[in-house]
Amino acid sequence: MFGRSRSWVGGGHGKSSRNIHSLDHLKYLYHVLTKNTTVTEQNRNLLVETIRSITEILIWGDQNDSSVFDFFLEKNMFVFFLNILRQKSGRYVCVQLLQTLNILFENISHETSLYYLLSNNYVNSIIVHKFDFSDEEIMAYYISFLKTLSLKLNNHTVHFFYNEHTNDFALYTEAIKFFNHPESMVRIAVRTITLNVYKVSLDNQAMLHYIRDKTAVPYFSNLVWFIGSHVIELDNCVQTDEEHRNRGKLSDLVAEHLDHLHYLNDILIINCEFLNDVLTDHLLNRLFLPLYVYSLENQDKGGERPKISLPVSLYLLSQVFLIIHHAPLVNSLAEVILNGDLSEMYAKPEQDVQRSCAKPSIRCFIKPTETLERSLEMNKHKGKRRVQKRPNYKNVGEEEDEEKGPAEDAQDDAEKAKGTEGGSKGIKTSGENEEIEMVIMERSKLPELASTSVQEQNTTDEEKSAATGLESARWSRPFLDMVYHALDSPDDDYHALFVLCLLYAMSHNKGMDPEKLERIQLPVPSEAEKTTYNHLLAERLIRIMNNAAQPDGKIRLATLELSCLLLKQQVVTSTGCVIKDVHLACLEGAREESVHLVRHFYKGEEIFLDMFEDEYRSMTMKPMNVEYLMMDASILLPPTGTPLTGIDFVKRLPCGDVEKTRRAIRVFFMLRSLSLQLRGEPETQLPLTREEDLIKTDDVLDLNNSDLIACTVITKDGGMVQRFLAVDIYQMSLVEPDVSRLGWGVVKFAGLLQDMQVTGVEDDSRALNITIHKPASSPHSKPFPILQATFIFSDHIRCIIAKQRLAKGRIQARRMKMQRIAALLDLPIQPTTEVLGFGLGSSSSSQHLPFRFYDQCRRGSSDPTVQRSVFASVDKVPGFAVAQCINQHSSPSLSSPSPPASGSPSGSGSTSHCDSGGASASSTPSVAQSPTDDPTTMEQPQPNLLDQLVIVSETEAGARPGKSLAKSADEPVSLSPSLIPAQQPTISLLCEDTADTLSVESLTLVPPVDPHSLHTLAGILPPPMPATEGTGTPGEEAGPSEPAGPAQH
Amino acid sequence: MTYAYLFKYIIIGDTGVGKSCLLLQFTDKRFQPVHDLTIGVEFGARMVNIDGKQIKLQIWDTAGQESFRSITRSYYRGAAGALLVYDITRRETFNHLTSWLEDARQHSSSNMVIMLIGNKSDLESRRDVKREEGEAFAREHGLIFMETSAKTACNVEEAFINTAKEIYRKIQQGLFDVHNEANGIKIGPQQCISTSVGSIASQRNSGDVESNSGCC
Repeated sequence: MFGRSRSWVGGGHGKSSRNIHSLDHLKYLYHVLTKNTTVTEQNRNLLVETIRSITEILIWGDQNDSSVFDFFLEKNMFVFFLNILRQKSGRYVCVQLLQTLNILFENISHETSLYYLLSNNYVNSIIVHKFDFSDEEIMAYYISFLKTLSLKLNNHTVHFFYNEHTNDFALYTEAIKFFNHPESMVRIAVRTITLNVYKVSLDNQAMLHYIRDKTAVPYFSNLVWFIGSHVIELDNCVQTDEEHRNRGKLSDLVAEHLDHLHYLNDILIINCEFLNDVLTDHLLNRLFLPLYVYSLENQDKGGERPKISLPVSLYLLSQVFLIIHHAPLVNSLAEVILNGDLSEMYAKPEQDVQRSCAKPSIRCFIKPTETLERSLEMNKHKGKRRVQKRPNYKNVGEEEDEEKGPAEDAQDDAEKAKGTEGGSKGIKTSGENEEIEMVIMERSKLPELASTSVQEQNTTDEEKSAATGLESARWSRPFLDMVYHALDSPDDDYHALFVLCLLYAMSHNKGMDPEKLERIQLPVPSEAEKTTYNHLLAERLIRIMNNAAQPDGKIRLATLELSCLLLKQQVVTSTGCVIKDVHLACLEGAREESVHLVRHFYKGEEIFLDMFEDEYRSMTMKPMNVEYLMMDASILLPPTGTPLTGIDFVKRLPCGDVEKTRRAIRVFFMLRSLSLQLRGEPETQLPLTREEDLIKTDDVLDLNNSDLIACTVITKDGGMVQRFLAVDIYQMSLVEPDVSRLGWGVVKFAGLLQDMQVTGVEDDSRALNITIHKPASSPHSKPFPILQATFIFSDHIRCIIAKQRLAKGRIQARRMKMQRIAALLDLPIQPTTEVLGFGLGSSSSSQHLPFRFYDQCRRGSSDPTVQRSVFASVDKVPGFAVAQCINQHSSPSLSSPSPPASGSPSGSGSTSHCDSGGASASSTPSVAQSPTDDPTTMEQPQPNLLDQLVIVSETEAGARPGKSLAKSADEPVSLSPSLIPAQQPTISLLCEDTADTLSVESLTLVPPVDPHSLHTLAGILPPPMPATEGTGTPGEEAGPSEPAGPAQH
Repeated sequence: MTYAYLFKYIIIGDTGVGKSCLLLQFTDKRFQPVHDLTIGVEFGARMVNIDGKQIKLQIWDTAGQESFRSITRSYYRGAAGALLVYDITRRETFNHLTSWLEDARQHSSSNMVIMLIGNKSDLESRRDVKREEGEAFAREHGLIFMETSAKTACNVEEAFINTAKEIYRKIQQGLFDVHNEANGIKIGPQQCISTSVGSIASQRNSGDVESNSGCC
């Protein structure tokens, strides 16, 4: 086929490409064209091939030989194209021509060549040619052609397209006629073309005026109507949804709305003032206010006017604020939402944005009185007579639309005239619109009419914002009230989530005037100085948090996360936190609740640890992105619990015990992190495993005295290496001897024991299969095996030793972590001999130490002091430390479950804990009212704490027992207040560390701890005692060991 | 010309990596690449045959529209397949893949098939990105990978067709809702729209003549 078409052009295979790309060849092709001016079945292929070759030569000429273009121009070869096009030459030729044109304009690089092609108006003739747009391929090529042209628009070329004298701008006007084409790619192309045109129009006043005066109003009003119709369809989809069946359609509609918003935003950020005024006016007064904002209020009132449901309206408004940052638009919109008055709802012309715009508008969502195509033609032919109709992909539908009665037509024209020529400001309020079909407004309310007109006169020439500013005090704020009200819903957070998003979006909007937000005391995130915040909102946020921490809380994780974000944004400043004590207390209460909630799910089961770590990972790796959240259509449907919907976990309620556990863990993390942040404390406990604490490949370790097992490792891909297997507290590693130092080893592989699986090999008693999976980094990725190998040992004894060591190590590693979780949850540690001794007696406790400490302590492992001191400095085993702490206090607590009163006498001031403890004893609102001492009580612990933290290896849990020990004399007394059940203090002014200390002890009195275990503990008690006492000094001693590790590498 | 399905593709990647040339090379073989002439196009359509089914591929180049967020966004959403192209002679085009991919994943449906293409494989001497690196990137992100040359037409055919096969496979697995055109897939009209005797389709057959023997 290929060969044949070549030969037709006379090239043949013999000819070199040089000949094909030449002026001579073009002359030959010209000759072919002149011989075949009429398209027939016979010469069709020849013509197509000729056109194709001409394209190629022209592009070649553009890059190599300018005489080609001269010839092309001289012979007016474009006319042949047009001529062929105008014959009903059929789709094949048509497509080929359009493709040729696409290629031509796409590949021409020289300005002059481009001018040649554009001169004589041939291109415009092609643009307005009546193609058969019902053919999808022709449509696609045609719109691509326009798009390609629009990309060639610039200050010079624009004159070839826009004719100032005849008011012709075919490229633009033909393109926008397809703005609502059913094929999405076509619509996208139209948007591209318009954006390209607007960008160029910035530098071309005449064109700008043309676009604004002749096309902007028809185009934007139709566009806005198109968007609004989609929104109503969207709302309908939400309303009629049953069992989430509409989700597919809903997500398309939401995506479509987002596309539109992004498109509008793209127009706005071109920053063409002229256009922006018109567009802003239309958006505000024809869409956002009448359809979105007015739907916030009065769901039942409003009569005929189109409205959407509250959640949909909140959702869409959030999207608007998240995407559009054009200051005049967002400020006017926010003004109405935050300060809006009911009277505004009723037909008042809008002045504040569109002073410069000729056309006054009414706030209503109405269908444009005529189709875009018609408006454009009307405008174009204002001076001229007839309206020329062009075929269109939707010819049929159009006819109906345009077949209106003559009277109506006249009416339309009158409207039109008024619209474009301006002049009729407030007049258009009532009578006229009723005659127009599809006008649906809240005009039915007669009482309002009077006030409306008064309102109009008053504000016609006023700055409305000024007016609202002055009068806001006595105006009700129905929209804002509604916004707050939606946060109150006790049953679920369906509305609350949207409200939070809206507030978040408004406060993060770059175009927003901070003053607007300040009026409702909603600070913008960047604001440096804050002294106060919105108490009403903060209280509601804390209530949501509290609710989330309840076992049956109906708050979704997304809502909680957003609440935390908003609260932080309100109270955290660059210098500190301005939260009121009473609010902080409530928040602490919520955090306590969340601890209780997790405790309820805390189990010794393996899976809990994995869930715990996994939740932490996914929470930190995937922080909330509100914009993404608001792109998800699924939250538009009432919250559901079932994962069968495929809705993301954070956007629905938990289903089943596992998810409830996951949720509880998440709530705990979020509230813990919030609480720490508000109190200005660093997180020292999470994640349970920090990357920097782990042994890494190429670390060099001192392995003297370590248990090492030689083995051969055969990886899956057949590789075989000799290694020594070493088992550390959390990791297993494969090392090879370090050539430079005897007894040291270089780590070749290190993997977490907790993620390891060991199995025997059936027919080889010396071999083990070992797999270690890397935990999935995102919910989508698969767990990835970082090690998958067969280990062969020298004999079956060593094999069994290795297997046991690994298996035990795995259990041990997991148990350690579970204990750390228990410490986080203030749960007592369940002691087992295995934990303490790893089944190997006391000396083996050094085995719990990571290798990096070995060089310090291994050799001295016979010396218990050193060993213990090192141990105390290792933050990896706070659980252990806490356990000791509990032992210490267990007896006094047990012996005196004493009344709170006992706490007060000893509030000697020697410790701050007692003070705050005492305060919490009275627990409660009354305390909140006397916050004067609180700053001191809350500050005091910190220097204290800091010291300890430095010495005792920066873990809180580690620190606390240490501290308690230091003040052992006071401790028993300060314990008793803690007996106040932790459930109660929703308001508690305890600062965190005290609270924790207390509750640790309080819990020792409460199930699930078996009293016997305490006794058991007491039995074990003596040995650890000296260890903890040694915390202070030996801790320092051990300190240097930390840097020593890396230094060796 | 009737078809069973229409798949919409987009081509993405930095400017100058040869997207439009790849597209033209695939949709219209008759524009033979000549060494002193680079020709590209922003839109093309072509019929391919997969498992005995006629499938029409419609390919939209997104070049020149990067400055408008709304446009890129919409394009992604409307496509069933994406060719993510970089230039093996320019490392920076490879480095930008991550952000392209992020964009694509964010805006597209999760089912969109993405094929990673290292273009200009004919310029072996100026190679700046190893084939293995491309492979590794593709493996890491779950993409199909190929090195192509729009100039020699090497692998161009395969790149487009393999992507189509993957989409077709997903349709058969029921992952794509073919009735929802927003996915970039359309079920074909039941009959010919126009009489097309050896038109585009037949010319496209020229592709079969071309030898696909390993040139890369």
